[in-house]
Amino acid sequence: MRKVIKRIWQAGWTNFKRNSYLSFGTTGVMTLVLLLFAGLMAVQYVSGQIVSGLENKVDVTAYFKQDASEGDILQVKQDLETRPDVQRVTYVSREQALEDFKAKHAGEPLIQQSLAELADNPLEASLNIKARESDQYAEIVSFLEGNKFRPVVDKINYYENETVIRRVQSIANGLRNWGLLATFLLAAIAILVTFNTIRLTIYNQRQEIEIMRLVGGSNSHIRAPFLIEGGLYGVFAGLAATVIFYPAVWFVSSKASSLLPDISLIGYFAANMIQFLLIVLGVGIILGVISSYIAIRRFLKV
Amino acid sequence: MIKFKDISAIHGYEDFALDIPELHIKDGEFVSLVGPSGAGKSTLLRLMTRELRPIQGEVLIDGVNIAELSHKEIPLLRRKIGTIFQDFKLLSKKNAFENVAFALEVSGVEPEQIIQDVPKVLNIVGLADKAKNFPHQLSGGEKQRLAIARALIHRPGIILADEPTGNLDMVNTYDVVKLLMKINEFGTTVVLATHNREVVNAVGKRVVSIDNGKIVRDQMEQGKYII
Repeated sequence: MRKVIKRIWQAGWTNFKRNSYLSFGTTGVMTLVLLLFAGLMAVQYVSGQIVSGLENKVDVTAYFKQDASEGDILQVKQDLETRPDVQRVTYVSREQALEDFKAKHAGEPLIQQSLAELADNPLEASLNIKARESDQYAEIVSFLEGNKFRPVVDKINYYENETVIRRVQSIANGLRNWGLLATFLLAAIAILVTFNTIRLTIYNQRQEIEIMRLVGGSNSHIRAPFLIEGGLYGVFAGLAATVIFYPAVWFVSSKASSLLPDISLIGYFAANMIQFLLIVLGVGIILGVISSYIAIRRFLKV
Repeated sequence: MIKFKDISAIHGYEDFALDIPELHIKDGEFVSLVGPSGAGKSTLLRLMTRELRPIQGEVLIDGVNIAELSHKEIPLLRRKIGTIFQDFKLLSKKNAFENVAFALEVSGVEPEQIIQDVPKVLNIVGLADKAKNFPHQLSGGEKQRLAIARALIHRPGIILADEPTGNLDMVNTYDVVKLLMKINEFGTTVVLATHNREVVNAVGKRVVSIDNGKIVRDQMEQGKYII
Protein backbone atom coordinates (compact mmCIF):
# COMPACT_ATOMS: atom_id res chain seq x y z
CA MET A 1 0.00 0.00 0.00
CA ARG A 2 2.76 2.43 0.94
CA LYS A 3 4.53 1.67 -2.30
CA VAL A 4 1.37 2.39 -4.28
CA ILE A 5 0.87 5.73 -2.52
CA LYS A 6 4.52 6.58 -3.09
CA ARG A 7 4.25 5.77 -6.78
CA ILE A 8 1.06 7.78 -7.22
CA TRP A 9 2.54 10.71 -5.33
CA GLN A 10 5.76 10.63 -7.33
CA ALA A 11 3.96 10.34 -10.65
CA GLY A 12 1.64 13.22 -9.76
CA TRP A 13 4.44 15.45 -8.52
CA THR A 14 6.67 14.66 -11.50
CA ASN A 15 3.85 15.43 -13.89
CA PHE A 16 3.16 18.70 -12.06
CA LYS A 17 6.81 19.73 -12.35
CA ARG A 18 7.29 18.68 -15.96
CA ASN A 19 4.14 20.46 -17.05
CA SER A 20 5.53 23.55 -15.38
CA TYR A 21 4.01 25.95 -17.90
CA LEU A 22 0.55 24.45 -17.65
CA SER A 23 0.82 23.97 -13.91
CA PHE A 24 1.81 27.58 -13.46
CA GLY A 25 -1.13 28.80 -15.52
CA THR A 26 -3.66 26.56 -13.83
CA THR A 27 -2.36 27.41 -10.37
CA GLY A 28 -2.51 31.08 -11.30
CA VAL A 29 -6.14 30.90 -12.36
CA MET A 30 -6.98 28.95 -9.25
CA THR A 31 -5.19 31.49 -7.08
CA LEU A 32 -7.40 34.21 -8.54
CA VAL A 33 -10.45 32.06 -7.87
CA LEU A 34 -9.42 31.49 -4.25
CA LEU A 35 -8.74 35.20 -3.87
CA LEU A 36 -12.28 35.79 -5.06
CA PHE A 37 -13.47 33.36 -2.39
CA ALA A 38 -11.39 35.14 0.22
CA GLY A 39 -12.77 38.47 -0.95
CA LEU A 40 -16.28 37.09 -0.58
CA MET A 41 -15.43 36.02 2.95
CA ALA A 42 -14.24 39.55 3.71
CA VAL A 43 -17.37 41.10 2.19
CA GLN A 44 -19.54 38.66 4.14
CA TYR A 45 -17.75 39.58 7.33
CA VAL A 46 -18.01 43.32 6.75
CA SER A 47 -21.68 43.21 5.74
CA GLY A 48 -22.42 40.92 8.68
CA GLN A 49 -20.75 43.39 11.00
CA ILE A 50 -22.68 46.30 9.50
CA VAL A 51 -25.94 44.40 9.84
CA SER A 52 -25.34 43.39 13.43
CA GLY A 53 -24.14 46.90 14.20
CA LEU A 54 -27.41 48.26 12.86
CA GLU A 55 -29.41 45.67 14.72
CA ASN A 56 -27.58 46.38 17.94
CA LYS A 57 -28.77 49.93 17.78
CA VAL A 58 -32.38 48.77 17.86
CA ASP A 59 -34.09 48.13 21.17
CA VAL A 60 -37.40 48.67 22.92
CA THR A 61 -37.96 50.37 26.25
CA ALA A 62 -41.03 49.96 28.43
CA TYR A 63 -41.59 52.84 30.86
CA PHE A 64 -43.45 52.18 34.08
CA LYS A 65 -45.79 54.51 35.86
CA GLN A 66 -44.32 56.39 38.78
CA ASP A 67 -46.34 54.39 41.26
CA ALA A 68 -45.36 51.00 39.89
CA SER A 69 -43.68 48.91 42.56
CA GLU A 70 -40.18 47.60 41.94
CA GLY A 71 -41.46 44.07 42.62
CA ASP A 72 -43.96 44.29 39.74
CA ILE A 73 -41.34 45.63 37.38
CA LEU A 74 -38.88 42.91 38.31
CA GLN A 75 -41.67 40.37 37.82
CA VAL A 76 -42.18 41.69 34.27
CA LYS A 77 -38.42 41.53 33.77
CA GLN A 78 -38.40 37.91 34.88
CA ASP A 79 -41.33 37.06 32.57
CA LEU A 80 -39.51 38.64 29.66
CA GLU A 81 -36.28 36.84 30.41
CA THR A 82 -37.96 33.45 30.12
CA ARG A 83 -38.83 34.17 26.50
CA PRO A 84 -36.36 32.61 24.01
CA ASP A 85 -36.48 35.61 21.68
CA VAL A 86 -35.33 38.03 24.39
CA GLN A 87 -31.59 38.41 24.57
CA ARG A 88 -31.27 40.83 27.47
CA VAL A 89 -33.46 42.94 29.72
CA THR A 90 -31.94 45.82 31.65
CA TYR A 91 -33.78 47.36 34.56
CA VAL A 92 -33.29 51.07 35.12
CA SER A 93 -34.82 52.26 38.38
CA ARG A 94 -36.18 55.76 38.78
CA GLU A 95 -33.17 56.77 40.88
CA GLN A 96 -30.81 55.34 38.34
CA ALA A 97 -32.65 57.15 35.56
CA LEU A 98 -32.25 60.39 37.43
CA GLU A 99 -28.55 59.76 38.03
CA ASP A 100 -28.06 59.02 34.36
CA PHE A 101 -29.98 62.11 33.35
CA LYS A 102 -27.92 64.28 35.68
CA ALA A 103 -24.70 62.82 34.44
CA LYS A 104 -25.75 63.30 30.86
CA HIS A 105 -26.58 66.94 31.37
CA ALA A 106 -23.82 67.71 33.86
CA GLY A 107 -22.62 70.69 31.85
CA GLU A 108 -26.00 72.36 31.55
CA PRO A 109 -26.74 74.53 34.61
CA LEU A 110 -30.26 75.37 33.46
CA ILE A 111 -31.36 71.75 33.51
CA GLN A 112 -29.55 71.10 36.77
CA GLN A 113 -31.30 74.08 38.27
CA SER A 114 -34.77 73.04 37.18
CA LEU A 115 -34.13 69.53 38.49
CA ALA A 116 -33.17 70.94 41.86
CA GLU A 117 -36.41 72.87 42.00
CA LEU A 118 -38.48 69.74 41.54
CA ALA A 119 -39.41 68.11 44.81
CA ASP A 120 -39.94 64.70 43.32
CA ASN A 121 -38.05 62.60 40.79
CA PRO A 122 -39.99 63.15 37.53
CA LEU A 123 -38.50 60.18 35.73
CA GLU A 124 -39.99 56.74 35.31
CA ALA A 125 -38.42 53.36 35.87
CA SER A 126 -37.90 51.40 32.68
CA LEU A 127 -36.99 48.04 31.22
CA ASN A 128 -34.70 48.12 28.22
CA ILE A 129 -35.34 45.06 26.07
CA LYS A 130 -32.99 43.62 23.49
CA ALA A 131 -34.34 40.93 21.17
CA ARG A 132 -32.17 38.29 19.53
CA GLU A 133 -33.43 39.25 16.06
CA SER A 134 -34.81 42.61 15.05
CA ASP A 135 -38.01 41.10 13.66
CA GLN A 136 -38.98 39.75 17.08
CA TYR A 137 -39.79 43.10 18.67
CA ALA A 138 -43.40 43.15 17.51
CA GLU A 139 -44.07 39.87 19.25
CA ILE A 140 -42.29 40.88 22.44
CA VAL A 141 -44.28 44.08 22.55
CA SER A 142 -47.56 42.25 22.08
CA PHE A 143 -46.51 39.93 24.91
CA LEU A 144 -46.01 42.99 27.09
CA GLU A 145 -49.38 44.32 26.04
CA GLY A 146 -51.04 41.12 27.13
CA ASN A 147 -49.13 40.90 30.42
CA LYS A 148 -51.07 41.08 33.66
CA PHE A 149 -48.87 43.99 34.74
CA ARG A 150 -49.89 45.98 31.68
CA PRO A 151 -51.71 48.56 33.88
CA VAL A 152 -48.46 49.65 35.52
CA VAL A 153 -46.76 50.17 32.16
CA ASP A 154 -46.95 53.77 31.10
CA LYS A 155 -45.74 53.50 27.53
CA ILE A 156 -43.67 51.38 25.24
CA ASN A 157 -41.47 53.33 22.85
CA TYR A 158 -41.78 50.65 20.15
CA TYR A 159 -44.61 52.52 18.53
CA GLU A 160 -42.50 55.61 18.05
CA ASN A 161 -39.56 53.59 16.74
CA GLU A 162 -41.53 51.10 14.71
CA THR A 163 -40.78 52.57 11.28
CA VAL A 164 -37.09 52.92 12.08
CA ILE A 165 -36.94 49.36 13.34
CA ARG A 166 -38.69 48.08 10.24
CA ARG A 167 -36.36 50.00 7.97
CA VAL A 168 -33.26 48.72 9.74
CA GLN A 169 -34.71 45.28 9.49
CA SER A 170 -35.31 45.48 5.76
CA ILE A 171 -31.85 46.93 5.12
CA ALA A 172 -30.31 44.17 7.19
CA ASN A 173 -32.29 41.49 5.42
CA GLY A 174 -31.51 43.00 2.03
CA LEU A 175 -27.80 43.09 2.77
CA ARG A 176 -27.89 39.54 4.02
CA ASN A 177 -29.92 38.09 1.16
CA TRP A 178 -28.26 39.95 -1.68
CA GLY A 179 -24.87 39.30 -0.16
CA LEU A 180 -25.64 35.61 -0.01
CA LEU A 181 -26.92 35.61 -3.58
CA ALA A 182 -23.85 37.46 -4.84
CA THR A 183 -21.64 35.05 -2.93
CA PHE A 184 -23.33 32.04 -4.49
CA LEU A 185 -23.16 33.53 -7.97
CA LEU A 186 -19.50 34.41 -7.72
CA ALA A 187 -18.71 31.07 -6.13
CA ALA A 188 -20.47 29.33 -9.02
CA ILE A 189 -18.44 31.36 -11.51
CA ALA A 190 -15.25 30.55 -9.61
CA ILE A 191 -16.02 26.83 -9.65
CA LEU A 192 -16.79 26.89 -13.38
CA VAL A 193 -13.58 28.76 -14.17
CA THR A 194 -11.50 26.31 -12.16
CA PHE A 195 -13.23 23.34 -13.68
CA ASN A 196 -12.72 24.59 -17.21
CA THR A 197 -9.08 25.44 -16.62
CA ILE A 198 -8.35 22.00 -15.28
CA ARG A 199 -10.37 20.45 -18.06
CA LEU A 200 -8.16 22.22 -20.62
CA THR A 201 -5.05 21.10 -18.76
CA ILE A 202 -6.19 17.50 -18.92
CA TYR A 203 -7.42 17.90 -22.49
CA ASN A 204 -3.83 18.79 -23.34
CA GLN A 205 -2.78 15.44 -21.99
CA ARG A 206 -5.54 13.37 -23.53
CA GLN A 207 -3.17 11.50 -25.80
CA GLU A 208 -1.00 10.52 -22.89
CA ILE A 209 -4.06 9.22 -21.10
CA GLU A 210 -5.14 7.21 -24.12
CA ILE A 211 -1.66 5.78 -24.54
CA MET A 212 -1.65 4.75 -20.90
CA ARG A 213 -4.89 2.88 -21.52
CA LEU A 214 -3.41 1.24 -24.63
CA VAL A 215 -0.39 -0.13 -22.78
CA GLY A 216 -2.63 -1.69 -20.17
CA GLY A 217 -3.13 0.97 -17.52
CA SER A 218 -6.29 0.55 -15.47
CA ASN A 219 -8.48 3.60 -14.96
CA SER A 220 -7.64 4.00 -11.29
CA HIS A 221 -3.93 3.61 -12.02
CA ILE A 222 -4.00 6.35 -14.66
CA ARG A 223 -6.35 8.61 -12.76
CA ALA A 224 -4.65 8.72 -9.37
CA PRO A 225 -1.60 10.84 -10.38
CA PHE A 226 -3.90 13.30 -12.15
CA LEU A 227 -5.94 13.68 -8.98
CA ILE A 228 -2.72 14.37 -7.06
CA GLU A 229 -1.83 16.94 -9.70
CA GLY A 230 -5.26 18.57 -9.30
CA GLY A 231 -4.78 18.62 -5.54
CA LEU A 232 -1.35 20.20 -5.97
CA TYR A 233 -2.86 23.06 -7.98
CA GLY A 234 -5.13 23.60 -4.99
CA VAL A 235 -2.30 23.52 -2.44
CA PHE A 236 -0.11 25.99 -4.30
CA ALA A 237 -3.02 28.22 -5.22
CA GLY A 238 -4.18 28.21 -1.58
CA LEU A 239 -0.74 29.21 -0.34
CA ALA A 240 -0.37 31.87 -3.02
CA ALA A 241 -3.83 33.27 -2.31
CA THR A 242 -3.00 33.53 1.41
CA VAL A 243 0.28 35.27 0.70
CA ILE A 244 -1.47 37.80 -1.54
CA PHE A 245 -4.64 38.17 0.53
CA TYR A 246 -3.18 39.18 3.90
CA PRO A 247 -1.16 42.19 2.73
CA ALA A 248 -4.17 43.22 0.61
CA VAL A 249 -6.48 43.01 3.64
CA TRP A 250 -3.98 44.94 5.71
CA PHE A 251 -3.89 47.65 3.07
CA VAL A 252 -7.68 47.81 2.66
CA SER A 253 -8.20 47.66 6.41
CA SER A 254 -6.00 50.67 7.04
CA LYS A 255 -7.88 52.65 4.38
CA ALA A 256 -11.32 51.54 5.55
CA SER A 257 -10.81 52.16 9.24
CA SER A 258 -11.84 55.81 8.88
CA LEU A 259 -15.01 54.74 7.08
CA LEU A 260 -15.93 51.84 9.33
CA PRO A 261 -14.23 52.52 12.65
CA ASP A 262 -16.03 49.67 14.46
CA ILE A 263 -14.85 46.97 12.10
CA SER A 264 -11.31 45.67 12.05
CA LEU A 265 -10.95 43.54 8.94
CA ILE A 266 -7.30 42.74 9.48
CA GLY A 267 -7.98 41.96 13.13
CA TYR A 268 -10.63 39.45 12.17
CA PHE A 269 -8.53 37.73 9.53
CA ALA A 270 -5.38 37.81 11.64
CA ALA A 271 -7.21 36.13 14.51
CA ASN A 272 -8.55 33.45 12.18
CA MET A 273 -5.44 32.92 10.07
CA ILE A 274 -5.21 29.16 10.61
CA GLN A 275 -8.90 28.68 9.81
CA PHE A 276 -8.51 30.88 6.74
CA LEU A 277 -5.57 28.85 5.50
CA LEU A 278 -7.41 25.59 6.10
CA ILE A 279 -10.54 26.79 4.32
CA VAL A 280 -8.64 28.14 1.32
CA LEU A 281 -6.48 25.01 1.06
CA GLY A 282 -9.53 22.80 1.53
CA VAL A 283 -11.55 24.58 -1.14
CA GLY A 284 -8.56 24.56 -3.50
CA ILE A 285 -7.79 20.88 -3.04
CA ILE A 286 -11.41 19.77 -3.30
CA LEU A 287 -11.97 21.91 -6.41
CA GLY A 288 -8.76 20.62 -8.00
CA VAL A 289 -9.37 16.96 -7.27
CA ILE A 290 -13.04 16.91 -8.25
CA SER A 291 -12.43 18.91 -11.43
CA SER A 292 -9.62 16.55 -12.43
CA TYR A 293 -11.77 13.54 -11.68
CA ILE A 294 -14.60 14.77 -13.88
CA ALA A 295 -12.32 16.04 -16.65
CA ILE A 296 -10.31 12.85 -17.00
CA ARG A 297 -13.32 10.57 -17.25
CA ARG A 298 -14.01 10.99 -20.92
CA PHE A 299 -10.44 10.17 -21.95
CA LEU A 300 -10.45 6.88 -20.08
CA LYS A 301 -12.98 5.26 -22.37
CA VAL A 302 -10.44 3.83 -24.87
CA MET B 1 -3.90 -18.72 -30.39
CA ILE B 2 -5.83 -15.86 -31.98
CA LYS B 3 -9.09 -16.59 -33.78
CA PHE B 4 -11.36 -14.27 -35.75
CA LYS B 5 -14.80 -15.66 -36.48
CA ASP B 6 -17.50 -14.15 -38.68
CA ILE B 7 -16.55 -10.54 -38.11
CA SER B 8 -18.74 -8.33 -40.28
CA ALA B 9 -19.26 -5.00 -38.57
CA ILE B 10 -17.66 -2.88 -35.89
CA HIS B 11 -19.10 -0.55 -33.27
CA GLY B 12 -18.55 3.07 -34.19
CA TYR B 13 -17.50 2.20 -37.76
CA GLU B 14 -20.78 0.85 -39.06
CA ASP B 15 -20.05 2.08 -42.60
CA PHE B 16 -16.82 0.14 -42.85
CA ALA B 17 -17.48 -3.12 -44.66
CA LEU B 18 -15.43 -5.80 -42.96
CA ASP B 19 -15.85 -9.45 -43.81
CA ILE B 20 -13.59 -11.87 -41.98
CA PRO B 21 -15.31 -15.27 -41.85
CA GLU B 22 -12.30 -16.96 -40.32
CA LEU B 23 -8.67 -16.21 -39.48
CA HIS B 24 -6.50 -18.28 -37.14
CA ILE B 25 -3.08 -17.23 -35.94
CA LYS B 26 -1.16 -19.93 -34.12
CA ASP B 27 1.10 -19.35 -31.13
CA GLY B 28 4.62 -18.39 -32.16
CA GLU B 29 3.64 -17.47 -35.69
CA PHE B 30 4.91 -14.39 -37.55
CA VAL B 31 2.07 -13.04 -39.65
CA SER B 32 2.32 -10.07 -41.99
CA LEU B 33 -0.98 -8.38 -42.74
CA VAL B 34 -0.59 -6.56 -46.02
CA GLY B 35 -2.76 -4.39 -48.15
CA PRO B 36 -3.27 -0.82 -49.27
CA SER B 37 -4.13 1.96 -46.84
CA GLY B 38 -7.69 1.68 -45.62
CA ALA B 39 -7.91 -2.02 -46.38
CA GLY B 40 -8.59 -2.95 -42.77
CA LYS B 41 -5.19 -4.04 -41.42
CA SER B 42 -5.19 -1.67 -38.48
CA THR B 43 -8.82 -2.47 -37.82
CA LEU B 44 -7.92 -6.12 -37.29
CA LEU B 45 -5.16 -5.16 -34.87
CA ARG B 46 -7.42 -2.79 -32.98
CA LEU B 47 -9.98 -5.56 -32.65
CA MET B 48 -7.31 -7.60 -30.87
CA THR B 49 -6.59 -4.86 -28.32
CA ARG B 50 -10.29 -4.15 -27.81
CA GLU B 51 -9.89 -0.60 -29.06
CA LEU B 52 -12.68 -1.70 -31.38
CA ARG B 53 -15.48 -4.12 -30.69
CA PRO B 54 -17.28 -6.20 -33.31
CA ILE B 55 -21.04 -5.93 -33.56
CA GLN B 56 -21.14 -9.48 -34.81
CA GLY B 57 -18.68 -12.31 -34.57
CA GLU B 58 -15.93 -13.19 -32.14
CA VAL B 59 -12.31 -12.38 -31.50
CA LEU B 60 -10.81 -15.12 -29.36
CA ILE B 61 -7.44 -14.83 -27.69
CA ASP B 62 -6.41 -18.00 -25.86
CA GLY B 63 -10.03 -19.07 -25.93
CA VAL B 64 -11.43 -15.86 -24.41
CA ASN B 65 -13.90 -13.87 -26.49
CA ILE B 66 -12.47 -10.42 -25.92
CA ALA B 67 -15.52 -8.71 -27.36
CA GLU B 68 -17.25 -9.64 -24.13
CA LEU B 69 -14.64 -8.23 -21.76
CA SER B 70 -15.84 -5.57 -19.35
CA HIS B 71 -14.18 -2.14 -19.32
CA LYS B 72 -12.29 -3.17 -16.20
CA GLU B 73 -10.90 -6.33 -17.80
CA ILE B 74 -9.52 -4.57 -20.89
CA PRO B 75 -6.27 -3.47 -19.19
CA LEU B 76 -5.61 -7.09 -18.19
CA LEU B 77 -5.89 -8.12 -21.85
CA ARG B 78 -3.61 -5.33 -22.99
CA ARG B 79 -0.93 -6.34 -20.50
CA LYS B 80 -0.72 -9.71 -22.26
CA ILE B 81 -0.20 -8.04 -25.63
CA GLY B 82 2.62 -5.74 -26.69
CA THR B 83 1.55 -3.08 -29.19
CA ILE B 84 3.76 -1.03 -31.51
CA PHE B 85 2.32 1.87 -33.50
CA GLN B 86 3.38 3.85 -36.52
CA ASP B 87 3.28 7.08 -34.50
CA PHE B 88 5.12 5.39 -31.59
CA LYS B 89 2.59 6.55 -28.98
CA LEU B 90 5.24 7.32 -26.40
CA LEU B 91 4.42 9.30 -23.28
CA SER B 92 6.02 12.65 -24.09
CA LYS B 93 6.28 13.75 -20.45
CA LYS B 94 8.15 10.62 -19.42
CA ASN B 95 11.73 9.74 -20.28
CA ALA B 96 12.77 6.51 -21.99
CA PHE B 97 13.17 4.61 -18.75
CA GLU B 98 9.81 5.79 -17.40
CA ASN B 99 8.03 5.01 -20.65
CA VAL B 100 9.06 1.38 -20.39
CA ALA B 101 8.62 1.29 -16.63
CA PHE B 102 5.05 2.54 -16.96
CA ALA B 103 4.01 -0.65 -18.73
CA LEU B 104 5.33 -2.61 -15.75
CA GLU B 105 3.92 -0.28 -13.10
CA VAL B 106 0.41 -0.74 -14.42
CA SER B 107 0.76 -4.47 -13.85
CA GLY B 108 1.74 -3.86 -10.24
CA VAL B 109 5.35 -4.98 -10.62
CA GLU B 110 7.57 -4.12 -7.63
CA PRO B 111 9.82 -1.07 -8.11
CA GLU B 112 12.96 -3.15 -7.43
CA GLN B 113 11.97 -5.50 -10.25
CA ILE B 114 11.31 -2.55 -12.57
CA ILE B 115 14.75 -1.08 -11.87
CA GLN B 116 16.25 -4.45 -12.79
CA ASP B 117 14.20 -5.24 -15.90
CA VAL B 118 13.98 -1.92 -17.72
CA PRO B 119 17.72 -1.43 -18.38
CA LYS B 120 17.89 -5.00 -19.71
CA VAL B 121 15.21 -4.45 -22.29
CA LEU B 122 16.58 -1.01 -23.19
CA ASN B 123 19.86 -2.79 -23.79
CA ILE B 124 18.17 -5.29 -26.11
CA VAL B 125 16.82 -2.47 -28.32
CA GLY B 126 20.13 -0.57 -28.12
CA LEU B 127 18.95 2.35 -26.02
CA ALA B 128 20.86 1.62 -22.81
CA ASP B 129 22.59 5.00 -22.95
CA LYS B 130 19.39 6.96 -23.69
CA ALA B 131 17.41 5.95 -20.62
CA LYS B 132 17.13 9.52 -19.36
CA ASN B 133 16.19 11.01 -22.73
CA PHE B 134 12.67 12.19 -23.40
CA PRO B 135 10.94 11.10 -26.62
CA HIS B 136 11.53 14.48 -28.29
CA GLN B 137 15.25 13.95 -27.75
CA LEU B 138 15.23 10.67 -29.68
CA SER B 139 15.37 10.03 -33.43
CA GLY B 140 12.50 8.30 -35.22
CA GLY B 141 14.27 4.95 -35.18
CA GLU B 142 15.12 5.30 -31.51
CA LYS B 143 11.54 6.19 -30.68
CA GLN B 144 10.30 3.05 -32.39
CA ARG B 145 12.90 0.91 -30.66
CA LEU B 146 11.78 2.44 -27.38
CA ALA B 147 8.19 1.56 -28.24
CA ILE B 148 9.32 -1.99 -28.95
CA ALA B 149 11.10 -2.10 -25.60
CA ARG B 150 7.88 -1.04 -23.93
CA ALA B 151 5.92 -3.68 -25.82
CA LEU B 152 8.45 -6.35 -24.80
CA ILE B 153 8.86 -5.48 -21.16
CA HIS B 154 6.23 -7.74 -19.70
CA ARG B 155 7.18 -10.63 -21.97
CA PRO B 156 3.87 -10.72 -23.80
CA GLY B 157 2.76 -13.78 -25.78
CA ILE B 158 1.66 -11.56 -28.65
CA ILE B 159 3.21 -8.50 -30.27
CA LEU B 160 1.04 -6.39 -32.57
CA ALA B 161 2.89 -3.98 -34.81
CA ASP B 162 0.85 -1.46 -36.78
CA GLU B 163 2.98 0.02 -39.58
CA PRO B 164 5.97 0.17 -37.24
CA THR B 165 8.27 1.23 -40.05
CA GLY B 166 5.92 3.75 -41.63
CA ASN B 167 7.83 6.75 -40.29
CA LEU B 168 11.33 5.30 -40.56
CA ASP B 169 14.15 5.37 -43.08
CA MET B 170 15.69 2.25 -44.66
CA VAL B 171 18.30 1.63 -42.00
CA ASN B 172 15.92 2.02 -39.10
CA THR B 173 13.26 -0.04 -40.87
CA TYR B 174 15.75 -2.85 -41.19
CA ASP B 175 16.65 -2.58 -37.47
CA VAL B 176 13.04 -2.72 -36.39
CA VAL B 177 12.22 -5.71 -38.60
CA LYS B 178 15.29 -7.54 -37.35
CA LEU B 179 14.15 -6.89 -33.78
CA LEU B 180 10.67 -8.20 -34.50
CA MET B 181 12.08 -11.36 -36.06
CA LYS B 182 14.34 -11.88 -33.07
CA ILE B 183 11.37 -11.49 -30.74
CA ASN B 184 9.50 -14.04 -32.81
CA GLU B 185 12.39 -16.49 -32.61
CA PHE B 186 11.97 -16.54 -28.84
CA GLY B 187 8.43 -17.82 -29.32
CA THR B 188 6.36 -14.65 -29.29
CA THR B 189 3.53 -14.40 -31.79
CA VAL B 190 4.07 -11.36 -33.99
CA VAL B 191 1.37 -9.77 -36.13
CA LEU B 192 2.80 -7.09 -38.39
CA ALA B 193 0.51 -4.82 -40.37
CA THR B 194 2.36 -3.03 -43.16
CA HIS B 195 2.19 -1.90 -46.75
CA ASN B 196 5.94 -1.94 -47.13
CA ARG B 197 6.76 -4.50 -49.82
CA GLU B 198 10.47 -4.80 -48.94
CA VAL B 199 9.72 -5.49 -45.33
CA VAL B 200 7.24 -8.25 -46.08
CA ASN B 201 9.46 -9.90 -48.63
CA ALA B 202 12.47 -9.71 -46.31
CA VAL B 203 10.57 -11.41 -43.50
CA GLY B 204 9.37 -14.19 -45.79
CA LYS B 205 6.83 -15.76 -43.42
CA ARG B 206 3.04 -16.11 -43.49
CA VAL B 207 1.42 -13.25 -45.41
CA VAL B 208 -2.29 -12.41 -45.20
CA SER B 209 -3.41 -9.97 -47.88
CA ILE B 210 -6.41 -7.78 -47.13
CA ASP B 211 -8.31 -5.54 -49.47
CA ASN B 212 -11.56 -3.70 -48.87
CA GLY B 213 -12.06 -5.42 -45.55
CA LYS B 214 -11.73 -8.93 -46.99
CA ILE B 215 -8.96 -11.48 -46.82
CA VAL B 216 -7.99 -11.95 -50.46
CA ARG B 217 -4.99 -14.26 -50.02
CA ASP B 218 -3.37 -16.21 -47.20
CA GLN B 219 0.14 -17.52 -47.98
CA MET B 220 0.98 -19.82 -45.11
CA GLU B 221 4.75 -19.98 -45.72
CA GLN B 222 7.43 -18.02 -47.53
CA GLY B 223 4.82 -15.38 -48.33
CA LYS B 224 5.46 -12.46 -50.62
CA TYR B 225 3.78 -9.09 -50.90
CA ILE B 226 1.03 -9.69 -53.45
CA ILE B 227 -2.33 -7.96 -53.62
